[in-house]
Amino acid sequence: MRLNELSIGDSAIIKKVHAKEPLKSRLLSMGITRGEEIKVLKHTLAKNTFEVEVNRVPIALREEEAKEIEVEK
Amino acid sequence: MKEIVIALVGQPNVGKSHLINSISGATLHVGNFSGVTVEKKEVEFERNGIKLKLIDLPGTYSFHAYTPEEEVTKKFLINEEYDLILNVVDSNQLEKNLTFTWQLADIGKQMVVAFNMYDEFARQGGEIDTDKFYRLTNIMAQNVSAKENFGLEELFEKVIKTYEMKNTPKVYYSELVEEQIISVKEKIKECRFSKRFVAIRLLEDDEDIYKIIHEKPWFADLMPVLKKAKDILRGEYDEEDTKTIFFEERYALSKGIVTQIAKRARKETITEKIDKVLIHPVFGLPLFLLIMWAIFQATFSLGALPMDYIGSVFEAFSGWVGTLLPEGIIKDAVTQGIIPAVGAVVMFLPNILILFLGINLLEQTGYMARAAYVMDGVLKRFGLQGRAFIPLVTGFGCSVPAYMAARTLKNPKDRLITMLIIGFMSCGARLPVYVLLVSAFFAPEVQANVMFAIYIGGALTGLIVAKILRNVLFKGEPEPFVMELPKYRFPKLKSLLFDLWIKTKLYLQKAGTFIAAASLIIWVLSSYPRAEIEAKYQNTPNQAQMHKEILENSYLAKIGKLIEPITKPLDLTWREDVALLSGLAAKETIVSTMAVLYGEGNSNSKTLIQNIKKSLPFTAAVAMIIVIMFYSPCLAAMSTFWAEVPQWAWRLFYTVYPNVFAYFAALLAVTLIKFINP
Repeated sequence: MRLNELSIGDSAIIKKVHAKEPLKSRLLSMGITRGEEIKVLKHTLAKNTFEVEVNRVPIALREEEAKEIEVEK
Repeated sequence: MKEIVIALVGQPNVGKSHLINSISGATLHVGNFSGVTVEKKEVEFERNGIKLKLIDLPGTYSFHAYTPEEEVTKKFLINEEYDLILNVVDSNQLEKNLTFTWQLADIGKQMVVAFNMYDEFARQGGEIDTDKFYRLTNIMAQNVSAKENFGLEELFEKVIKTYEMKNTPKVYYSELVEEQIISVKEKIKECRFSKRFVAIRLLEDDEDIYKIIHEKPWFADLMPVLKKAKDILRGEYDEEDTKTIFFEERYALSKGIVTQIAKRARKETITEKIDKVLIHPVFGLPLFLLIMWAIFQATFSLGALPMDYIGSVFEAFSGWVGTLLPEGIIKDAVTQGIIPAVGAVVMFLPNILILFLGINLLEQTGYMARAAYVMDGVLKRFGLQGRAFIPLVTGFGCSVPAYMAARTLKNPKDRLITMLIIGFMSCGARLPVYVLLVSAFFAPEVQANVMFAIYIGGALTGLIVAKILRNVLFKGEPEPFVMELPKYRFPKLKSLLFDLWIKTKLYLQKAGTFIAAASLIIWVLSSYPRAEIEAKYQNTPNQAQMHKEILENSYLAKIGKLIEPITKPLDLTWREDVALLSGLAAKETIVSTMAVLYGEGNSNSKTLIQNIKKSLPFTAAVAMIIVIMFYSPCLAAMSTFWAEVPQWAWRLFYTVYPNVFAYFAALLAVTLIKFINP
């Protein structure tokens, strides 16, 4: 499943980052890498923007970017 | 004296600027990195008879540069001369920060690490064993807190020691990766970088290094080896992208080292609690609007207080200079042209400082990232980013700080689109012009609505233009929005004041140079030729009449008459053209020019309104309002744009398109009015 399918409070393990460069490097350098646990802290009402947490780093991203991150609950 | 040049590098939000501000006995120089308007801070100080020169490089997440700032850092580290890298790391986010540390270590230069914000980390029960870190990586490190001013002196001792021992990092990846590095390294011959660094960068597809290397004679020999090494990595890691392999490798290394050197801190929960309120799905947006409203109130009400004072200081100064200079052209140019114009610009300094204090506060406390999160959903629809909100709203005050505030946008495309529509947000200087025209041509009961429509109409048009620009000129994938939400932190007064001082200095420098020169040109154009007219009025001391006649026959008027045929369809005459042209110097001068041209020497604004109403058709007034809403902002704003955007193509586009747009928008409105009301 993809990150944008998670609900607030859900945690999952990152399986793969599908994004293209340069977005991919940016996600990776924030710690969104294979095997890490990612948690959805918040999202806006329409699920447009997400706030997630990886290894205690809170990160904001859009639905489009969340779609590029494959996770497993 | 011996000098050590130190590159200060770190990821964003690690407190690098705090660190710079906390060094005692240091002198600071602020400039730009060559070719780009990225602020470059250099600090010099002395320890143990050695001069230390710190160069602050923009915050960077990794060597795979993403923003122009990151590009600057990478270019500097690759191409410039320096002795040592000082890497600042946030103790609270060791794993993430250290992935960049390993990339820096690859360069093979001398290096020291500062574990910053150690105070926070230790309070939450965290500990870092820097001796062990040294044993594992051969990088000397020091726990510091720039905020509470501890560890800095020890840090500089380690910097000097590292420099004198010529101590370089020994950071190694897993055996498999190291094997590939070695096989590639063997094919690398003479080169100004360390061979290990080149091998690693090539293995992870670094195009910048590739470009530097690919003309070397040994490049052909290298290629097959490199390809084979990459294939081995791909197979072993079950991952197509070698960049990702290296990221994972470095992350794993970070985690391994962190478990050996650090005791983890308890999780800080204040940020989460504050965020529950500030980025609440429902209340987040209204709260943000309230905060912005408060900042703008302060900017324009508090900022207005010293305006008269500054104005009278300049008036007095102008008078004093007048007594020093002999009567004549030079005196007139200085006292009537340059000084009042520079004064008019300096008058906005309080506004700008208050606004920037507000923006700095938002930035330093960590709220700015949240504002972008909250606004992103709305602005996304117009092809803009959440962060664009700050410069756009600032544009309602003044375009000059708005263009500078656009620096908060890290992506060059987002930044450019935002900057291209800032002019559509009607700035404060246009208000008096609107007031003049609206009160002359609209019934009192609808005047407030018309004013509101002008502001909202301008902003909406701006957003629509942004959407069009995004679809036409910046086609392709929308720019991604990924942003770290930093912890909430108390701002530090010293760095706030320091930033304001730098802003003041740069602003005054600009006012004294560029704006002085530009206003001199406008003054000359509007005051010459004058000899004959002056002779005619020698005996009749009707100054107002004389100035009117000079203006009517000036070069500026000639230009106005030259473009009169173009603005004829808008029902504008050369007078309006001249007023609009003078508005390019500063929007307020539209009013003063109209006053000269229509006021008949009378300073009463009622007469002026009556005269304008008598001599201008309604369509011309509408055309003028629309032109003012959309055409080029003042010279000060334009020069700021030019300074911020180095590409000539965009500078040219920016200088031309608002005027074309304004012309056709006004033409459309005039045609419509004539169609409905023939």
